[in-house]
Amino acid sequence: MSLPRRQFLTQASAGLAGTLLAGLVGSVPGCAPARSAVRGQLRGAGHALGHRLRDLKSLPAATRTEEIDLLIIGGGISGLSARRALHELAPARQALLLELEPGVGGNAASGHNARTAYPWGAHYLPLPDERDAELLAFLQQAGVLTGYDPATGLPHYDETMLCHDPAERLLLHGHWQAGLVPEVGVPAPDRAEIARFLALIERLRRATGPDGRDLFRLPLDLSSTDAATRPLDAETMAAWLARHDYHSEYLRWYLDYSYRDDFGVPAAQISAWAGLHYFAARKGRAHNAPPDAVLTWPQGNHFLAEALRHQGGAGEIRPNTLVFSLKETTDGRVEALAFDNATQQTTRLRARQVVLATPWHVSRHLLPAAPALAPLHAPWLVANLTVDAYPGGTGQPLSWDNVRYDSPALGYIDAEHQALRGFETEGPYSLTFYWALPTDPADPIAARRHALASTYEQWLTLVLTELDLMHPGLAAQVTAAELWVWGHGMVAPTPGYVWGPARALARQPHLGGRVHVAHTDLSGVSVFEEAFHQGRRAARAALGSPAS
Amino acid sequence: MGEGSVLTRRRRARAAAAAPAEGAPRPALLLGSVAVIATCGLLYELIAGTLASYLLGDSVTQFSTVIGVYLFSMGVGSWLSRYLGGALLRWFIRLEILVGLVGGASAPLLFGLFAHVGSFRVLLYGLVGLLGTLVGLEIPLLLRILQGRLAFKELVARVFTFDYVGSLLAAVIFPLVLVPRLGLVRTALLFGALNVVVAGVSLLSFEETRPYRRRYLALIALSLLALGTGVGLAERIQRYAEGEVFQDTVIYAQSTPYQRLVLTGNHRGELRLFLNGNLQFSSADEYRYHEALVHPAMQDRPRASRILVLGGGDGLAVRELLKYPQVQHIQLVDLDPAMTKLFRSNQLLRELNHNSLHSPKLTITNADAYAWLRQDTARYDVVLVDFPDPGNYSIGKLYSTAFYQTLRQRLRPGGLVVVQATSPYVARRAYWCVVHTLAASGFSPVPYHAYVPSFGEWGYVLAQAQPGTWRPDGGPLPAGLRFATPQTISEMRRFPPDMAEVPTDINQLNNQALVRYFEEEWGPYGQ
Ligand SMILES: Cc1cc2nc3c(=O)[nH]c(=O)nc-3n(C[C@H](O)[C@H](O)[C@H](O)COP(=O)(O)OP(=O)(O)OC[C@H]3O[C@@H](n4cnc5c(N)ncnc54)[C@H](O)[C@@H]3O)c2cc1C
Repeated sequence: MSLPRRQFLTQASAGLAGTLLAGLVGSVPGCAPARSAVRGQLRGAGHALGHRLRDLKSLPAATRTEEIDLLIIGGGISGLSARRALHELAPARQALLLELEPGVGGNAASGHNARTAYPWGAHYLPLPDERDAELLAFLQQAGVLTGYDPATGLPHYDETMLCHDPAERLLLHGHWQAGLVPEVGVPAPDRAEIARFLALIERLRRATGPDGRDLFRLPLDLSSTDAATRPLDAETMAAWLARHDYHSEYLRWYLDYSYRDDFGVPAAQISAWAGLHYFAARKGRAHNAPPDAVLTWPQGNHFLAEALRHQGGAGEIRPNTLVFSLKETTDGRVEALAFDNATQQTTRLRARQVVLATPWHVSRHLLPAAPALAPLHAPWLVANLTVDAYPGGTGQPLSWDNVRYDSPALGYIDAEHQALRGFETEGPYSLTFYWALPTDPADPIAARRHALASTYEQWLTLVLTELDLMHPGLAAQVTAAELWVWGHGMVAPTPGYVWGPARALARQPHLGGRVHVAHTDLSGVSVFEEAFHQGRRAARAALGSPAS
Repeated sequence: MGEGSVLTRRRRARAAAAAPAEGAPRPALLLGSVAVIATCGLLYELIAGTLASYLLGDSVTQFSTVIGVYLFSMGVGSWLSRYLGGALLRWFIRLEILVGLVGGASAPLLFGLFAHVGSFRVLLYGLVGLLGTLVGLEIPLLLRILQGRLAFKELVARVFTFDYVGSLLAAVIFPLVLVPRLGLVRTALLFGALNVVVAGVSLLSFEETRPYRRRYLALIALSLLALGTGVGLAERIQRYAEGEVFQDTVIYAQSTPYQRLVLTGNHRGELRLFLNGNLQFSSADEYRYHEALVHPAMQDRPRASRILVLGGGDGLAVRELLKYPQVQHIQLVDLDPAMTKLFRSNQLLRELNHNSLHSPKLTITNADAYAWLRQDTARYDVVLVDFPDPGNYSIGKLYSTAFYQTLRQRLRPGGLVVVQATSPYVARRAYWCVVHTLAASGFSPVPYHAYVPSFGEWGYVLAQAQPGTWRPDGGPLPAGLRFATPQTISEMRRFPPDMAEVPTDINQLNNQALVRYFEEEWGPYGQ
């Protein structure tokens, strides 16, 4: 994949100048890599507004009252999926959705720059389990799934939405190798251990329990209740690995990387059940793609959020609205107080049934006598960089996912990877960095507080330093950096979380059976499929419950 | 960072060379020239390093060795400065003229002689060594000139401040402004001229230069003239250098945001077009390529009135299409406006394409074919797909099932597509991969090939939207063809065993099978 010569020329020299400058600056210890003026700002999910939940007295009293049939609180994937399911199952009934942020999507938000849309959070969906008929029906309606092969019966996906090749590369020993499983220059014993682990996963993928269910399945509540597997939820994945003689640093890195990428924390902080489920529950197949393919879009899963919204009927969606109180009334309604951040007024909404699709740290405030569920959420940094030079390097060229071995960060996505265009651009390139910030499970608040207190400059220095380690000299070519800090990323399936008593309790209907919770916090594994089914489950409960 | 420590060592080498000397006036002026010569000094080093990695590859090695030799030579220069005595200012003026000439000529010399000298490295390191030595003399000499005028600590502080400022300036403007705007040759010449200007300013500002002023002024004027001429000739020097690589005379060369276009000619009147160094056509036999691309499809289409051409901004396929009176409208989509502009305006090329790009039946759109196709709503009888070979992942997308399915929706009932599909002889799997990909996209493909001496055996695929709508012996061919006859067309469909069908994957966006085949098969040919 040779670059045009001229482009190479500019880069070679720019790279050198960058290095020279870095040398100059770098002689002062602790200094950032060379860079030019960088545009951009620091954003985040509305913590300021959200945190007003803690100080209810600061919110005004209700000035008007509305009667509502079905109320959905929270417009993430769970809430949007609930809205779509309500519309599908009871099209005649009215549903109102309230969302804190200016737009829907939650963790599946997206932004855009002059060239392209890019994700602010969730950005891909692995091929779904072909038995998941409800999810497949949604994808078919959204045009993602285009049909079924008559011969094999396997789904056919829109090729433009399958992650294009080259999908992944890993910077290992100074060389970009294909794929994220360490291979190049990895000693034979390590490779053997990696192969042993992957073979085990392959077995677990097909394994079923005595109840006839898969041992590991998505959504996870469909997994077998097998008495032999459930106890794995009590120990950490790290302990399980040690117990089964997995010591290879390459394997451990790969696993930690994967868990940090999906849960925000490494093997030492999640349960062994979740650690195995991560790999073994993936059994999607397609007619036109290998099983490990993923679906992705320039705007990430915001594409799916929008599709859910479109398929959810004409019911109103009210953004900028903070729900700060829920209570049961004597006449069999649930009363929600909703503060409109635009008008600064509070409305009393009296609903027959409520789907509460907010994260647990919010739901906990809204539900009296909430069960003691304590999800761990690592804070995340997502940074979209506009870079003037090609992020190359020796080995595989720029790919969708680009990861550095042993990095504290999670690498970057090329936001234009899915562009349907037949020529190599000269840039600028739009790269989205992901960074799950280290969190001490004993004191998760400290990490969050630190994350929320850090300045744009501090984050920028961090990201540019990482970029410079991946591509020496490239930091000097960054012209814009838009940063997003998630104070609460996604839930981590810490030991005991998934199969412990608190989650089961929390999932029960609340407030006289009229409030049905739906959020990935109630799964313990935060992926699109879980959110999708959380929403459907809550919607069904809301419709089916005798009080409705 | 490696280069960082090199830079610090270089500064020490300079500082160590400070030596006593007599007094001189006007310190401010001389200090200003420190910044200028420091900028120039670092630039020559950057230019040589960049050029070396450009011409020889392996940029890390080239940069390290060039920097190493340069710094060492600066040390030599510093040491040699002790032997300069007498009128130091006069030495300084001489030195600046010399640095300007050698530095300015460095890039054009290296470029121009690359293809000629037996050992390019001897020339490279010789020149870098000479330049380094001269540049190494500068600062020690200036320190001695300024010594009497300033306290020693002041002197050292100021000289080195300006020195560093100049270097920083060079390091910043070189990649950001100079290389993209001026190119290496002009940059070298321009900064050479700056060194000479420093000589001139010093000459005019100091009284003691009176006795030799006139002689030196003439010398300076001559040097500036030489460097200025070089700037005027820079594009030609670059072209000449490429001419050495391309054997024939370069008639036209241009870098566009998408590619480098080079057009060459030779004494036989043969024109060749290269895109990024790859031969696109030779006027000697392009008729074979284009007749084979167009006529097998068109001979059977008496009612084909709307044609789409993707790629093919040279207008040569359009020339063949215009031989059919039933063709009423041709839509041409080529990425690069420079390409269609060149083939619309250059006299030689207009003769070659029979002025086809000026035809009233033709609409030219400069756009990416994939993006354009997705928003197009018209339908066509025949589509000619003449893209570059699938040599990278971006172009590979233009050969995918996703692309062909989009294309299929743009066909009228019974419509045909013809795709140029690289060499079935050199890249057998790549060729059959295109055939199979078209089949998987719902087309009925008819593979065929033709011999084009400049390229060798070349492959095409004729793809029918509905099977059985194309007949090999359809209608009459236009008069005056030199290659395509009913007989050659039917022979084109026969594949000897060494090019016969092989099983391949289907090229999809999510596997880019074709790009991988293409790389493996063309790799040994140094593509
Ligand atoms: C950085 C990052 C990357 C990720 N990448 C992926 C990925 O690639 N693939 C994947 O499948 N998953 C990914 N995830 C997981 C992602 O969380 C889930 O896929 C899914 O989007 C979760 O949806 P949810 O509805 O359960 O929760 P949320 O997205 O948390 O939705 C909750 C919604 O409730 C709103 N809300 C909160 N409080 C109130 C209130 N008081 N009143 C009204 N509204 C309120 C919030 O604003 C939000 O919109 C990622 C997560 C993060 C943080």
